[in-house]
Amino acid sequence: MPYQQREIVASPSGGTSVPPNRLSQLLATMSATQDRGSFRELYDYFAPRLKQFYMRSGTDEAMAEEMVQETFVLVWRKSHLYDPSRSAASTWIFTIARNHRIDRLRREKRFVQKEEHFFEAELVDDGSQDRDVDQPKMSLIINEALAELPPNQAELVRLSFYEEVTHAEIASRLQLPLGTVKSRLRLAFGRLRKKLAEFET
Amino acid sequence: MINHHISDEMLMSYAAGALSEGASLFVASHIHMCKRCAQRVFTAEAVGGALIDELDGVPMSSGSFDDLMLRIENEPSSDAAMERIESTPDLSHIPEPLQLLLGKDYSELSWKSVAPGIKQFILPVGGNRGEKTRLLKLSPGFVTPTHSHRGYELTMVMQGSYSDESGRYKVGDVQEADGEIDHQPIADTDEDCICLIYTDAPLEFKGVINRILQPFIGI
Ligand SMILES: [Zn+2]
Repeated sequence: MPYQQREIVASPSGGTSVPPNRLSQLLATMSATQDRGSFRELYDYFAPRLKQFYMRSGTDEAMAEEMVQETFVLVWRKSHLYDPSRSAASTWIFTIARNHRIDRLRREKRFVQKEEHFFEAELVDDGSQDRDVDQPKMSLIINEALAELPPNQAELVRLSFYEEVTHAEIASRLQLPLGTVKSRLRLAFGRLRKKLAEFET
Repeated sequence: MINHHISDEMLMSYAAGALSEGASLFVASHIHMCKRCAQRVFTAEAVGGALIDELDGVPMSSGSFDDLMLRIENEPSSDAAMERIESTPDLSHIPEPLQLLLGKDYSELSWKSVAPGIKQFILPVGGNRGEKTRLLKLSPGFVTPTHSHRGYELTMVMQGSYSDESGRYKVGDVQEADGEIDHQPIADTDEDCICLIYTDAPLEFKGVINRILQPFIGI
């Protein structure tokens, strides 16, 4: 099935709209040349989204904005670790924001880990060839797969990613048996993975 | 060859940043040994990226980009997060997240005896009510008291192997258990079996001897 580059609709309130491959190019350019213009475009796209992302974790607006700034300091300094053939810009920035959220908002500390490993698909070297991933295509398929999830599964996926709640917390919040929470998440991930099978080696 | 993996729902919640520190350490250690699960986490992280894309966004204050550039120019870049962490070649048999936490080999840890044939080392990771992350060392041939789980338990073999009613577990293999499981693992080679274990509630042991051991074991 051919996937066409879909025009992304401008969002009303904050983030600009930029196609995913453009974002990845910007991040790669910035990584290679420390280009301020590319960085600005990335910022205009991601900063409002990350602000909303942090606010959904329960932070107030001022704190969310401060965390966005901290995140972009990290994006600037870590950009040399970005490999556009391996992950989309949004995936890479998501992993930085996710880790930053844990570092800043939890009482417990995140255990020590080499940051660069978050950006590698293959932590295990089994001698097989790394493959380039068709990022724009993968992004479109994920968007479609998310849109096709049954609402009660999609709800749990969004709760997990946006509000970082554990299975037990989801169960008590939605008054569901723990087993139901786990099986819905498992089914959701199964459906997503099925659509994305061609991107896994 | 790893035959027993982590469930998809745990891999996805790990990628989402929605696991407690102990469970997260467990999953991170497994994906350093298991390409299959590492791939799945990577897929789930791409889902996270798509979920960032789909947000409408909340506008930033005016001038925030200029503030950011000033901060980048003026802040020293030598903060701790940017320092390269070196792993130790001698410890390469220990998956990196665990290795960096321990800083030494299994044999150099101050193991505490909890019962004949069982030693444990509680890992310094945070957790909520009743959560614990530990290493457990079973002597060869020693039969662990039968126990059931009120909560949820993740076990991964780091050295040696064990067997229970459900099968045989070797290095890298994971057993995920909840309240319905009743098991009695046995270290089944002539080597100590070392497991990484995450529990979100205390274990319950069965039988008279176990009831006597329980308060003293504390596991
Ligand atoms: Zn695995």
